[in-house]
Amino acid sequence: MKYRDPKLRDLLAGEYAMGLLPPRARARFERLMAGDAELARLVADWQERLAPIDQTAPPVAPPRRIWRAVEQGTLQRSFPAPTRSAGLLQSLAFWRGFAGAAAAVATALVLFIAMGPGPARAPTVVAVLADSTGTPAFIATRGERGEEVAVAPVRSQSLEAQKSFELWAIAGGPPKPLGLVSARPGKPLLVPASALTTAGTVLAVSLEPEGGSPTGLPTGPVLFQGKVLAELN
Amino acid sequence: MVSDAGADELQELMRGVVRRERAAFAALYDRTAPQLFGIALRILRQREEAEDVLQEAFVAVWDRAASFDPGRGSVMTWLVTVLRHRAIDRRRRRAHLEDRLGSEEDLLALTAAATDASDRGASLAALQKCLGELDEQPRRAVLLAYAYGYTHEELAGRLTTPIGTVKSWVRRSLERLKRCLDG
Repeated sequence: MKYRDPKLRDLLAGEYAMGLLPPRARARFERLMAGDAELARLVADWQERLAPIDQTAPPVAPPRRIWRAVEQGTLQRSFPAPTRSAGLLQSLAFWRGFAGAAAAVATALVLFIAMGPGPARAPTVVAVLADSTGTPAFIATRGERGEEVAVAPVRSQSLEAQKSFELWAIAGGPPKPLGLVSARPGKPLLVPASALTTAGTVLAVSLEPEGGSPTGLPTGPVLFQGKVLAELN
Repeated sequence: MVSDAGADELQELMRGVVRRERAAFAALYDRTAPQLFGIALRILRQREEAEDVLQEAFVAVWDRAASFDPGRGSVMTWLVTVLRHRAIDRRRRRAHLEDRLGSEEDLLALTAAATDASDRGASLAALQKCLGELDEQPRRAVLLAYAYGYTHEELAGRLTTPIGTVKSWVRRSLERLKRCLDG
C-alpha cells in the first residue's frame, strides 16, 4: 500500500499539517493516523515546524459573547438525554403534544414528575412555562449534577426579527435577568440552580429588543411563565 | 504569542481542562483566544465566520481535551491545529471566492528578519531563514497555503501556474524546509 513509502508518508503528513489535503483525502488520512502512532508523530513534527508562522497573525480580542457561547456549548455536556426510565413525561414530544391543556394540569404533572420515583440522577423537569392559553412553550430541566437548570422551548417559537426572548426569575423583588433563551429547541440556556431556590420563584420569558433588555428589567410583554416547582436543593 | 514561561502555564491549564475544571478552561480561553481569533481571521477574512470557528474550536477543545498528548507538541500548536482545520473547511465551503482574495502584503513581513530574542522568536527566525532559501514563487505558495488556507486550486489561480506545478512546488518546498530546519 502506498502509505508504506516513508517519503510519501512524510510528504502527506506535511500536506496534512499545511491544510492542503482535500476533504476526502484528509478524512482517509485521519483514519490512518488514528491507528498509526508513527504517522501521528510525523504530523506533530510538521505542525511544530510550521507553527512559527501562526505567530505572525496579529492577535485580535474576540467579542465576549463568544466565550459565553463556548460556556453554554460545553456546559450542555453535563445534561444527558433523558433515560428510558425517566420516561414519556419528560420527553419533549410529550410536551409538544400537550398543546391546549390547562396550566394547572401541567403544574400537577410537574409536581408528579418531580416527586415521583425514578433514578435520582436523571434530569428532572422543574418548571413548565406556558403561554396565556396554558399551552406549554418552554421547559426547565435540572441536569445530572443538579448545579444547572436548562431552559429550552418544547418546539420552535415564532420570534420577530431584531427581537430576543429573555428569561427572568421573579421571587418577590424585581425580576432578575437570567439570559437570552433561544426560540428553537436544542440550544438550552443554562442557569445556575442556585438562582431558582427561593420558594415560589416564577420563571418568565419576555419579548425584548435583540440582545436583551437594555435596562436590566423587562421592557416588553411577558409571553410565557411558569412556577418553579421542584425542590432544587 | 505565548512566551516559554507561558507555554508551561498553558500545559498546567490544559491538565486542569482534562480534569474538567471550568476555571482552567476559562483561563485557557483568556490566554489563547486572541491569537487563535487572529489566525482564524487571517484565513477567513470575515469576522462572523471567524467567530463561529473560534467558538466551535473551543467546544471541541473541551470535548477532546483528553486526546491532547503533551509528548507530541505544545498546547498552543494543538489548539491551532484544532482551529485551523475548521477554518480551512469553512473557507472551502464558501460559494464566493473572490471576496477573500485580498492583499497578502504582510507575506513580506514573514520573510523579514525576526528580532524577537525569545525561543519562540528564535524558531520563527529559523523558519524565516529557511523560507528565505526557497525560490520566490514556491515560498509564496507555502505561505499562502499555511497562513491563508489557500487550496491547490486557489494557489494555481493566484500564482497563474498549472496546478501540477504548484503541487510539486509545495512538496519540494516541504522537503527543503525539513532539511533546512532539522539539519
